Amino acid sequence: MEEKALNPQKNTRTVAEINEKIRKGDAQVLTAEEMKRLVESSGVEVAFKEVDVVTTGTFGAMCSSGAIINVGHSDPPIKIDNAWINNVPICHPGAAVDLYIGATAMSETEPFEYGGGHLIEDLVNGEEVELRATAYGTDCYPRTQLKTNLTKDDLNQFYLLNFRNCYQHYNCAVNGRDETIYTYMGKLLPRMKNATYSGAGELNPLMNDPDYETIGIGTRIFLGGGQGYVIGEGTQHEASSQNGTLMVRGDAKKMNTEFLRGASFTRYGTTLYIGLGIPIPILNEGLVKKTAIRDEEIFTNVVDYGVPRRDRPKLAKVSYKELKSGSVTVGDRKIRVSSLSSLKTARSVASTLKAWIDEGEFFLSAPVETLPLDTKFKGMKQTEATAYVANVMQAAVTCKETEEVSAIAKRIVTKSVNHIMVVDDQGRLNGIVTSWDITRALAEGKTVLSDIVTRRVFTAKLDEPLETASKRMAQHHISALPVIDNEQKVLGIVTSEDVSKLLGRS
Amino acid sequence: MARILLKFSEHIVSKPIVSEVILELEVPITIVTAQLNSKGGEVLAEVPEETLDKVVEAFRKKGVEVRLPKLIEVDKEKCINCGSCVALCPVEAITLIEDCSIVFNKEKCVGSTCSACVDACPARAIKSVKQNNHEVHSNRP
Repeated sequence: MEEKALNPQKNTRTVAEINEKIRKGDAQVLTAEEMKRLVESSGVEVAFKEVDVVTTGTFGAMCSSGAIINVGHSDPPIKIDNAWINNVPICHPGAAVDLYIGATAMSETEPFEYGGGHLIEDLVNGEEVELRATAYGTDCYPRTQLKTNLTKDDLNQFYLLNFRNCYQHYNCAVNGRDETIYTYMGKLLPRMKNATYSGAGELNPLMNDPDYETIGIGTRIFLGGGQGYVIGEGTQHEASSQNGTLMVRGDAKKMNTEFLRGASFTRYGTTLYIGLGIPIPILNEGLVKKTAIRDEEIFTNVVDYGVPRRDRPKLAKVSYKELKSGSVTVGDRKIRVSSLSSLKTARSVASTLKAWIDEGEFFLSAPVETLPLDTKFKGMKQTEATAYVANVMQAAVTCKETEEVSAIAKRIVTKSVNHIMVVDDQGRLNGIVTSWDITRALAEGKTVLSDIVTRRVFTAKLDEPLETASKRMAQHHISALPVIDNEQKVLGIVTSEDVSKLLGRS
Repeated sequence: MARILLKFSEHIVSKPIVSEVILELEVPITIVTAQLNSKGGEVLAEVPEETLDKVVEAFRKKGVEVRLPKLIEVDKEKCINCGSCVALCPVEAITLIEDCSIVFNKEKCVGSTCSACVDACPARAIKSVKQNNHEVHSNRP
């Protein structure tokens, strides 16, 4: 009955039918951005009739990427134990001469500036690279040292093998701290003076098929300017919270550097920018509606990366429309926001993929297996306790700014401390005075406290890992940090002495 | 045009030195940015290329420390049009245009006095480079 009702006005189509159209040059292909405009102007029904395929794209830093290469056997043969290419340490996950270049592995001679991502780019670009390897030597693999120069043509296999790509959406990052921080979300200025985000929003492949109706194992995709496949869900995949990811593979020998670039994030490390696009076959009207999703319907959280914890505070919810506008609103503040991924190249991915299909160079593949929708991204099970500032914090000795230097000197002696916090009537931090400041004041005959107070004080938070507090003290050559709450109220003090005792350093 | 960075100490900051130099040399000097208070400060200025040497000399005679700031250059081949630099630029010298390309406006850029974008570029396409053909490195003649 139902089958009859569907005919003659058929309201589904199959991947095989679409491929037949591609073969004949009759397939109608739109980029995701074009599709949204069409649905808006002509409606779902018309869009379903007119469109066979919607192409998507994204181009961003994808750290969990890399390349598997097989370098062939040397004579005499070697079972590679340690390897470096262009001084980048290489994993040796397989038998003798299979190597994995991780995008984030950094050069030992140019760390933070050259890494696995750059090395993959150089290889794709046809450049010659230097392989060095050592081994322990066996009866069957006697060689222990190796040095040779290679290009991609010398490799038996050179495949991108990325275990987590194409995040459906990602956080918008800000920094609530008083100092600039450098993260995998880029450079974040103090006191939330800028924000960064990543992702193509409405052009993102997974956002256009959020139920993984057409994207699964075996889906043929655009990868790095060549063709590749989805080989499974990516690590940390969690479709239920729109945090879906993909594991992908593609022949890197056929890629090009317009869509594959090594990159350096200052003080974070190196990575790889990859262009990834997926054609969504419009099999039914449901997929028309899904591919019609707009930036204003896609939301992400503004997250404070200044908090050095796994669960960072979410400060606001913003849409990709706001993100692409150049500024976001957090509370009553407007913050300028930059993209870390390139929308221009994401568009280029989608339009290149469209051109390939139009020209009959790219055919769709139906997944052989769907991706899981119910997986949860768990935190790490930790069997050892982590030390936090709260674990070593001591009561703070405080004073008011109106007090005299001599009174503070006495307090330092009676309480036997080196640091006194200057607080206001509400207990909020106004500055800090050390025993050294007092000694100097006495030597120089200064009696007014306000003349010797240090106003710019580095502080710590109660739930901050001790390691980051300790690092801050070392970085600024100071021996203690007042611990304050969000209202600037002094809760206590953490000293480098206490940290050393707990972390076992001197 | 060449760019010069003028540093005024506490002792001379109240004097109308820039005006004096303009009048004495009859040279147009454009102030790009200025950060001054009673304790001194800096002025980033632009002067015609051919007048650079005499302008520098005139300022130095009046006790002003003069430096040639480095200029920011963007390598378009290396740029991946990500946009990481855009929100970091305090003078909006870097903008995203309609097609999402990055456009760098050298005229607006304040150069090495800022440099906020340089270490934020994942493609390392932004460099701080010396101004051409000038050797005004030291404040001492």
